[in-house]
Amino acid sequence: MAIIGKRLVKQVKTTGVKATIAQRADDAFTRFTSGLTWGDVRGVLRGDPAPRPNPRVKPHTEGFWFHIRPTFYHEATTSLYPTFRLGFLSALFFAIEIITGVYLMIFYTPSPERAYSSMIDIITNVPFGMFMRDLHRLGAEVMVIVVTLHMVRTFTTGSYKKPRQFTWFTGVVLLMVTLGLSFSGYLLPWDQLAFWAVTIGTSMADAAPVLGPTVNLLLRGAPDIGAGGLLRFYLLHVVLLPLIGIIFVAVHYYKVVRWGLSLPPEMEPVGEDNARKVPPEKRVNFLPDIATNEIMYIAIAVAILAVSCATWYHAPLETHSNPLVTPNHTVAPWYFYWLQGLLKNTHIIPILPTDISTVVDRFFANVLGLTPKILWGIIIGPLVFVLLMVVPYIDPNPSRRYGQRKIMLTLGALFGALILYLSLAGIPTGVPVTGFGYVGGAPAAEVAQEFMPDEGDGALMNIPFDQMVVGEYQVSPDAGVANAPDLNAVLKEIYYDMQRRMTSADPNGRKLSQDAVAKVQIAQIQPDLKELTISISYTDDQTGTPQLYTKFKFLHKNADH
Amino acid sequence: MSIIKKIVTFKPSFTLRVIFGLISVVGFLSACAIVGLGDLSRALGAQDAKYQARSIEDGALVYSQQCARCHGPDGKGIAGQGPALSSITFLGKVENGIEVTKSQRLIDIGWVGNLDGYIRAVTAAGIPLKSSNVWDVTHPAFGQSYGGNLRDDQIADVSLFIQNWRQAPYTEGVIDSPKPGEALGPKPTAVPLSPEQEAGKAAFLKYGCTACHAIKGVAQGAVGPNLSTIGADAANIITQADYKSSQGKATTASEYIHESIVSPNAYIAPKCPTGACVAGIMPQNFAQTIPATDLTNLVAYLASLK
Repeated sequence: MAIIGKRLVKQVKTTGVKATIAQRADDAFTRFTSGLTWGDVRGVLRGDPAPRPNPRVKPHTEGFWFHIRPTFYHEATTSLYPTFRLGFLSALFFAIEIITGVYLMIFYTPSPERAYSSMIDIITNVPFGMFMRDLHRLGAEVMVIVVTLHMVRTFTTGSYKKPRQFTWFTGVVLLMVTLGLSFSGYLLPWDQLAFWAVTIGTSMADAAPVLGPTVNLLLRGAPDIGAGGLLRFYLLHVVLLPLIGIIFVAVHYYKVVRWGLSLPPEMEPVGEDNARKVPPEKRVNFLPDIATNEIMYIAIAVAILAVSCATWYHAPLETHSNPLVTPNHTVAPWYFYWLQGLLKNTHIIPILPTDISTVVDRFFANVLGLTPKILWGIIIGPLVFVLLMVVPYIDPNPSRRYGQRKIMLTLGALFGALILYLSLAGIPTGVPVTGFGYVGGAPAAEVAQEFMPDEGDGALMNIPFDQMVVGEYQVSPDAGVANAPDLNAVLKEIYYDMQRRMTSADPNGRKLSQDAVAKVQIAQIQPDLKELTISISYTDDQTGTPQLYTKFKFLHKNADH
Repeated sequence: MSIIKKIVTFKPSFTLRVIFGLISVVGFLSACAIVGLGDLSRALGAQDAKYQARSIEDGALVYSQQCARCHGPDGKGIAGQGPALSSITFLGKVENGIEVTKSQRLIDIGWVGNLDGYIRAVTAAGIPLKSSNVWDVTHPAFGQSYGGNLRDDQIADVSLFIQNWRQAPYTEGVIDSPKPGEALGPKPTAVPLSPEQEAGKAAFLKYGCTACHAIKGVAQGAVGPNLSTIGADAANIITQADYKSSQGKATTASEYIHESIVSPNAYIAPKCPTGACVAGIMPQNFAQTIPATDLTNLVAYLASLK
């Protein structure tokens, strides 16, 4: 202390107070930036050319954060193509998820009694709570897209080839971590959407032979999802998966830097890898060029995300989870639609005629214990990831040129198309032309589901509250309810929807009977609370008996459907 | 193609980076400002109202499934089953969020907490028969912690739904609980059933009628019409004009009851616990499934209920 004090006094005496403060501040700043003075940083941010000798290399050898990043990039990798910045964006969204996630963690309790009310609390009582939740949710969805695109890009440019096979392998692990993070986070709001999407997801594990029930029990903590399952998914979501993610990001990025960003395929001789041998005139220094670009990308991505969440995007929150009530048309999260579509295969070999297929199924079930659900959901589904992992090790072609990789690129495109097809099959409406994957009950129930779904909002519920005039209305093209144009419009929509279902059969071959009529009843139950009932009378197309289908919902003035 | 090439090989100049970056930072900050200012002024309150409203909707569903059969769909109470919940005596009155009339019921029973607490406590934990001692029906314990089937959040929803009546509680046509210590008057002395009627009562229980119909002290079904006084009601119905214009052919109360069992769609009774009765709900095949003797006894039993 005394020595510093003496030095300080001496410095002040010789140079004056002002110069001493400036000198000391600059020293502190230089320690913080691992070797750059304020003047250097200013030069970087202004885009000044580097002085010689270049002080901007020093942070790469002295500091932790900059030593992770390369000192220079090859000029050819700095335009949008070939990387499209997708790897960088993946890491950025991972960071955004961690930051917003920690904020949400403060207000969240992972127990069935408290979880849903935590969500309501975050939305209604926490400043920026809803904003953070929207950012977290939208960021997660975008992250899945970005990570997938990153993989598609790497495949297309052949960047997975020697020497980057292991980089690709860790990348597939990171894809699985991303999906796992997104999926485990899905359960936490503890609403109907969460509960049933995750029930579908985990019940696939249950079907697996030998280990399936054990894995399922480990995940759920009980035969059904309850307090144990919620806590386990929470711990997966906030501890285990982020930890695995961080470790694999570290390995992945180390490999990226070790081998360099792969050059555009057309720039390299076949079978060689020149990414590390950058001639001096092709070098683009990290400081200032790459750094300022990245700062811009961060700013743009965060701004788009934030503006979206402040305006049009709000994370869904349905009613409290209820194990006793399964809403119609329950689906897995969209990035698992393909798996759900895969599970809809009813036969071991789907292309055979039904009679032969049944025999084949029976043979496999009796001899090998292999049912279609096990084959398609448990064996083929996870096999997709294994296939992705081994792609670089089984692809014999050394060339990265597009023209010389016709087979692999075609296979890749076919794989992508298959995943898209299966994803379409995963949603209740099925694939448009083939009808594969269609899930639907009686046409009358589908009409009601369309306009008044079990969960979420339908056209009937979106009618402004003051236009829900109490009364009973036949569904018709021109109901003519006074002062209720929206109500009239919905009645008209229902009418035409029913007409459509009368003339064209659904993929199960079922039509709404010609004599079907529907009516909508609106009753006032309480001040500000109305009951909406839709009832459809029709003749059942299978039994020929008259049937009545009714469905009702309560709607409150302030509920904002 | 050249446009695509231009886009993918595009490298933003330093100036462009600064411009894009600044625009983005301004965009981000204004998004934060919009959200923050909204939260400060009224957005959180609006969200609160929205989710409270959704709670009331959920509560209405639970009420219609679990509570309406005894307290009535409009909460006005059903004699012998459950007292009114939408009456001013039970709820007091609220105007613009301020309580203008206190709940007389809470004062009478000496409940020191608030109305919400009372509703939730009774819904969750129930009331034993001996402490309510008014009617022959106990209040069941609905809370999962007390052996029922409702979660805590559902009980909170139901309570919000019931309190939603406080803006405009009913003052007439309600069946309130009597004050503690006051009985409802002398209980009617039960007329003993004849052996035939006794057999009819057994048939009523045996053929599943209890699932939909209520008879005071016997069954609590809440789908079809209440049959507690069907003997008297039947005699009344067959004299009505809308019965005569229907397909019904009965001329006595017993014939009407018989007809209602074997061909229920001949005439649709007007009043069911949850509103107007609907055709096609009651099974059409009792003529085949109930033996003739049981049917005769059943009609005799029902006709005796007056």
